[in-house]
Amino acid sequence: MKRLCGLFFVCALAAMLRAEPPSSFAIRDARVVTVSGSELAKATVLVKDGMIVDVGPNLAIPADAWVIDGSGLTVYPGFINALSTWGIPEVAPAAGAASRATAAPAATPQPAATPQPRVRGPEDRPQNNSYERAADLVKPTDHRLEGIRAIGFTTSATFPNRGILAGQGALIDLAGDQGADMVVAQPIGEQINLRTGGFRSGFPGSLMGVISYVRQLYLDLDQYQQAKSIYAAHVSGTPRPEYDHYLEGLAEAPRILLPADQAQQIDRMTSFAQELKRPAVLYGMHEAFLRIDALKQANLPLLVNLHWPEKAREADPTDVPSLRELEMRANAPAVPALLTKAGVHFAFYSEGADSAADIRKQLKRAIDGGLPRADAIRALTLSAAEVYGLSDRVGSIDKGKIANLVVTKGEPFEEKTTVEYVFVDGKLFKPSKVPPASPAGERGRN
Amino acid sequence: MRSQALLLLVAVSAIAADHESLLIQNVTIHPVTSAEIKGGSVLIVDGKIAAIGTKLSARGAKVSDGKGLDLYPGLINAGSNVGLSEISSIRDTVDIDEIGVFNPQLKAEVAFNPSSEHVQIVRAAGITTVLSLPSSRGEEFSPASAVDAPILPGQGALMHLNGWTWEEMALKRGAALDMLFPIIPSVPRREQTIGGPPQRTYSELEREYKVKLEQIANFFEDARRYAHAKAAGEPDFQPDPKLEAMIPVIEGRRPILVRAGKERAIRDAIEFAEKEKVRIIIADPHDIGSTAELLAKHGIPVVLGETLTLPLKEDDAYDSQYALPGQLFKAGVKFCFGTFDVEFARNLPFQAAAASAFGLPPQDALKAVTINAAEIFGVADQIGSIEKGKLADLILTDGDPLEATTSIKAEFIAGKPVNLESRHTRLYEKWNARP
Amino acid sequence: MRTLLAFIALTCAAHAESILIRNATLLTVTKGTIQNGSVLIQDGKIAAVGTNLSAPAGATIIDASGKFLSPGLIDCHSHTAVEGSVNEGSLSDSSMVNIADVLDPSDINIYRALAGGLTVSNVLHGSANAIGGQTIVIKLRWGKPAKGLIFEGAKPGIKFALGENPKRQGYPSELFSSPAAQQRRYPGTRLGVEDEIREDFTQAKIYQTRWKLYNEDRAKGVHPIPPRRDLRLEPLVEVLEGKRYVHAHSYRADEILALIRTADDMGFKIRTFQHVLEGYKVAKEIAAHGAGASTFSDWYGYKYEVIDATPYNAAIMTRKGVVVSLNSDSDELQRHLNWDAAKMVRYGGLTPDQALAMVTINPAKQLGIEDKVGSIEIGKSADLVLYDKHPLSNYSKVLKVWIDGHPYFDLDQDLKDRITLADRKKDLIAKEKAEEDTAKKKADTERRAVDKKEGKLPQEGAL
Repeated sequence: MKRLCGLFFVCALAAMLRAEPPSSFAIRDARVVTVSGSELAKATVLVKDGMIVDVGPNLAIPADAWVIDGSGLTVYPGFINALSTWGIPEVAPAAGAASRATAAPAATPQPAATPQPRVRGPEDRPQNNSYERAADLVKPTDHRLEGIRAIGFTTSATFPNRGILAGQGALIDLAGDQGADMVVAQPIGEQINLRTGGFRSGFPGSLMGVISYVRQLYLDLDQYQQAKSIYAAHVSGTPRPEYDHYLEGLAEAPRILLPADQAQQIDRMTSFAQELKRPAVLYGMHEAFLRIDALKQANLPLLVNLHWPEKAREADPTDVPSLRELEMRANAPAVPALLTKAGVHFAFYSEGADSAADIRKQLKRAIDGGLPRADAIRALTLSAAEVYGLSDRVGSIDKGKIANLVVTKGEPFEEKTTVEYVFVDGKLFKPSKVPPASPAGERGRN
Repeated sequence: MRSQALLLLVAVSAIAADHESLLIQNVTIHPVTSAEIKGGSVLIVDGKIAAIGTKLSARGAKVSDGKGLDLYPGLINAGSNVGLSEISSIRDTVDIDEIGVFNPQLKAEVAFNPSSEHVQIVRAAGITTVLSLPSSRGEEFSPASAVDAPILPGQGALMHLNGWTWEEMALKRGAALDMLFPIIPSVPRREQTIGGPPQRTYSELEREYKVKLEQIANFFEDARRYAHAKAAGEPDFQPDPKLEAMIPVIEGRRPILVRAGKERAIRDAIEFAEKEKVRIIIADPHDIGSTAELLAKHGIPVVLGETLTLPLKEDDAYDSQYALPGQLFKAGVKFCFGTFDVEFARNLPFQAAAASAFGLPPQDALKAVTINAAEIFGVADQIGSIEKGKLADLILTDGDPLEATTSIKAEFIAGKPVNLESRHTRLYEKWNARP
Repeated sequence: MRTLLAFIALTCAAHAESILIRNATLLTVTKGTIQNGSVLIQDGKIAAVGTNLSAPAGATIIDASGKFLSPGLIDCHSHTAVEGSVNEGSLSDSSMVNIADVLDPSDINIYRALAGGLTVSNVLHGSANAIGGQTIVIKLRWGKPAKGLIFEGAKPGIKFALGENPKRQGYPSELFSSPAAQQRRYPGTRLGVEDEIREDFTQAKIYQTRWKLYNEDRAKGVHPIPPRRDLRLEPLVEVLEGKRYVHAHSYRADEILALIRTADDMGFKIRTFQHVLEGYKVAKEIAAHGAGASTFSDWYGYKYEVIDATPYNAAIMTRKGVVVSLNSDSDELQRHLNWDAAKMVRYGGLTPDQALAMVTINPAKQLGIEDKVGSIEIGKSADLVLYDKHPLSNYSKVLKVWIDGHPYFDLDQDLKDRITLADRKKDLIAKEKAEEDTAKKKADTERRAVDKKEGKLPQEGAL
C-alpha cells in the first residue's frame, strides 16, 4: 500500500479509523445494487483515483488493487442527503447536545444599544444571503460527518440555510483534506425559507410579506438582466444598471428550493413556482398524502423530510392533539410509499439536526410505511442526484462515476445491519465497531 | 318606539318621586319565580314591591298605564368591570388588576365611578344590578403568567346601576372574594419565526403551578392563624387588613368566585375548596369536561361567561361553548351569567338567549339572568324576581328582554325610575339633527 | 363534511343537482317576505322563487315547513382563513403584500362561520399601517383548496387604515426603549397618516407615467431599459384606474372627511369605510362621495377614538342615504351576524328587512357582487341559509347552508361527523400509544441485554 506523504490534515477525532488512501481497490464478488440498472448477485467493483473504474461479474483485478472480499456483503451507491447543512461546522448543534435540538439555524441579529434602522422594504434586501455559497463554507471538520458516514452517507446537497434567501447549495462529498476538496458541484440551487421575524420585526413580518418579497426580487432580477443586456448593447448614453450582489447571487442559482409541508402550502408553492417561471424543487412534504395527484400533475422534483412529525417530548399530558396533527403523524411516513406508487420521484433529506441513529430509524419508518427498500435506496441515491441534474457523476454504481460507495452486511437501515466500509471520493473508511458509550444518567448508577 | 319610551318615562318620573307610591297597571307581569300574570298590576311603596295582582287598588299611589307592555325583574350581570374601567386600552382609566398576588382586602366598590358612561349604557339594556370585580378575565386570556400574577385580586361588589354615590349604589359589599385560580398555560406550537424567546417546557410550567398552589395553601393557613389569634383577644394583637379580609371567607360567610377556565383548574379548585373548607362559585368555565356532575354533587354554583365564544380546540364541536349552559342545566348545576368585561356587559341577555338556541330552556335562560344570580350571591330576599317584599328593580319592555329586537321602555331601580338615556342616545339625537 | 377528509378538493365543481326547498318563510330581503314559499335550485343558481313550485324529476326535495330561508350572510370585514399574520405592519405602505397569497382553506373558523350562516367574506389585511395589503373576497366553500375559495368576478381590494392603529409605531421613542426595537416608523400622527396616503399616490402617479412613457418609447421603436416593476405601487395604480376597491378602516369623523378629500384630490374613490364608528357625523359627505359604510352593531369603549361610538350609527347613516353593512372583524362574531343585525331594530328602529339587508344585500352592493348574491332572487347564486326560527330571533339556529347550490353545512350531518371524528381520533391515539409501548419495551429489553452482557445487575425495580 502506498502511503501518501507530505501535507496531511490530520483529523482530530480518532474514533473513526481513517484509512490511508491507496488509490486502487477491488470489492470482489459482492452483491452489487447499482440503482441505475438491475442488481448484480455477484460482481466486482473496481475503484481507482476516486472513480469507479468498472463494475461487473468476473472482472480482472489489477495487481495493485487492495482486494476486499465481498462475499456476504452488499455494495450500494453512497447515500446522498438531498438538503442539509452537513459540512458547515458553524451551523452544527454543539457536539453532545441532545439530538432533538431544533433545526432552526442561527440568524439572530446582534442586540444594538440604539434602535435599529428600519428596513424600508424589499429594496433593502432584508434577510437576504442569496450570494452566500455553501461551497465556501464547508469544512471536513464538521463533527457530524463521522457519525453520518458510519451509516453510509457519502454525499450531501449542502446549503447554508440562513435567512429567507438562504444561500446557494453545493453537492459535497463528506470527506476531504480541506473544504474545497469536498465540493462536487456548485451552485446547485438557492434555498428559500418562508420565515418572518414576526409582527414586531422589520419587513417582512408576515408570510404574505415574505412571499411578496421573493416575488419582487425575481421581478427585479428579470429587469436587472434585461438592463444589463440592453446596456451591454448600447453603453454610450445609457444609464448604467446598479450593481446588486443579491441579484447576482439569485442569478447564479440554476433552481430554487421552496418549502411546503402542509397541503395548502403545497398548493401555494406549486403555483408560486409556476409564477416565478424558474425550475423549482419543493421540500418538506409531510402532508403530501393529501396531494398525491396534484403533485403528480405538477411534475416538480420533491424532497421529503425524514424528520417525521412526532409527539412533542414536553407535551402537557392532558392536551389532546388535533385530528390533523394525528393524521400527519400517522401518515407522513407513508408519503414516500404513496409517491412511489403514483410514479412520482422524490429524494430524502434530513436538515442536519438529527443524529445518525435518528436518521436510520426515520428511514426504517418509511420502509415500514410501505416504501419498497429498493425505492428507499433510490430516493437516497440516484433520485437525489437527478433533482440537482448531477446523475451523470453520482448516485449509482456505474463506470466513470465518483467512487461513493457503502458496503453493508445486511439490508440497510435494519438494526442488525452493520456498515462495513464506506468510500467517499474513493477514500476508504471503516466505521468503528466499538459500541457507543451509554449516555450519562440513563443508568443512574454510582 | 324611542320617542314612546321617552314619553312614558317622562310621565312616570313626573309622577313618582322618592317617597311616593306608584301603581303600574295593565302590564303582563313575568315574576320569574311564578307564572306570568296578564293584565296585571304592581304596587311600589318605599322602593319595594308592596303588592302584585290583577285588581289592585291604588291606595293613594300615583297610577301609570303600562299599555299592555311586559314587566320583568331587572337583569343581573354577575361578573363585570362596570364602574372600574372606562376605556380598556387607556390604563389611566382602568382600575382593575392591582399589583400583588394576594390582595383580598381590596374592595371594588371604593373605585366604582357612578359617573362612568357604562352605568347608563348598561342599564339601558335592562340590567339593573352588576357584580363589579377587581380583575380582568384571568390568566387564560392575558399574556403568559408570571410568577407574580395575581391570585386574590380583591372583593367584588353587587352594585345597583343608579345612585349619586357608590355608597348608595352598593347593594352588597364584599359579595364575593375574586380569585384567579392558577393555570398551566399551553405550550404554544413553534412558529416559523427567526429568533424569538426560548420555549418553556411543560415540566417547568407544571412546577410553577404547584408552587402557586402551595402559596395559596400557605396564605389560607396564615388567615386561619390570624383569625385564631384575633379570637384570643390578647391586647398585643396586631391587625392586618389583608388577613382581616379573609375572616368572612374562612368562616364561610363570603364565597370565593373562582375563575377557572379548564377542567383541570375546576377540579383543582373543587379540591382546594374541600381542603380549605370554603364556599366557592366557579366563574367563566369554558371546558368543563366531566366536572358537571361533580359540581352538581357538591352544590357548587357557576357564573358562566359569554356563551358566544369560540370552541377551545380545533376539533371541538362548533357549538361546544353555545351548548355549555344547556349541559350544566341538564346536570343540575345552578348557574347565572356574567360577561367579565365592560364593553359588552349590556349584551348579557343575548348571551343567555344564545344558550337557549342550543339546549337551555328559555325560561331557565331568563332565570339565569335574574333569580339565579340573586340566589347565588345571597341577595334573593332583595332582587331577582317580582315578589312582594323585594326591591322594585323592574324593566318594562315590548317583548322578551333576551331578544335584541325588543326595546326597553322604562326601568326602575329600588323603586326609582331610571333615565334610559346615555351618551349613545344623546349622540344619536344630536347628530340625527344635523341638517 | 367536518373531518379532514373534507379537505381533499371536492370533485363536484358545479353542483348540478336540482334542489327544491319547500314551504318555508322566504326572507328575500329585496322582494319582501313570502309565506309558504319555495325555492328551486338548479345548476347552482336560484331558478325559481314562489309559492306552489313543483320539483323537476330527480330533484332533492327539502321540506322546510315552519322554517325560515334567508340569503347567505355576507361579512365585509374578515381576517379568517389567513396563514400567518394579517398585518405586514413593518412599512407605512405595504401594498405589495396580498392576502390572496396566504389564504388558508384549512382554517376551522371557515367551517364554524358556515355553521352560523356565513357564505361570503371580504378577507382583509390588518390595520397596522396607513396603506396595507391587497384583499380578496371569498366564498366559504369548506373543503376546497385555496383557489376554490376565491369569489370569481369579485373585484379585488386594498386596505387603508386611519386613526390610532397606523400611527402607533411612530410614537416618541420612550415607547421604543428596548435595544431590539426599531426606529420609529412615520407617521406618528393623523397628520402624517393623511400625508402618507397622498405621498404614496403621488409616487403611484409618477410610476404610472414612467411606464406610459416607456411603452410609448417602445411603440416608437426605441428600447430603453425598462423601469423596475414595483409591486408596491402597482395596486395603487389599479386604484387610480378603478380596478381595485379601497376599504378604509376609520373611526373619527375628521379622518373620514380628510380621506374623502384626499381621494377627490388624487382622483380615486373609496369603496367602503370600515368600522367608521363616527360615520354618523359625516353621513352626508360619505353618501355624496358614494362610499359604503361597513360598521359594528354596538362596539364601544375599547379605545379612545371610539369614545363617540353609538349603536345608532348604522340607523343614522342609513337614513342619510349611505349603504350600510354590519361586519364582524372577528372569528367569533362572524358566526352570528344575524343576531347582530337584530340589534338594529332596537337601536334606531329599523325594520327587520332593513336589518337583514345589512348582512346580505348591502355588503353585496359594497363588494360589487349584488348581481350574484345577497338576496333570494332568480338568477342569483343559490347561497341560502335555512333557520329553525326567524334569523333575527336570538333563539334561532342554522340548520343548513348552501353555497352555489351545494350544501356546505348540515346540522344533522355535523352531529354524525362528530362521532366519526371522535372515533378516528381514538383509533389514532391508541395506535400511537401501542407503538410507543412497543418501542419502550424494546428499549428496556435491549438495555437489560446490554447490562447482562456487561455483567451488571439490572436496576432495582426496572421493568
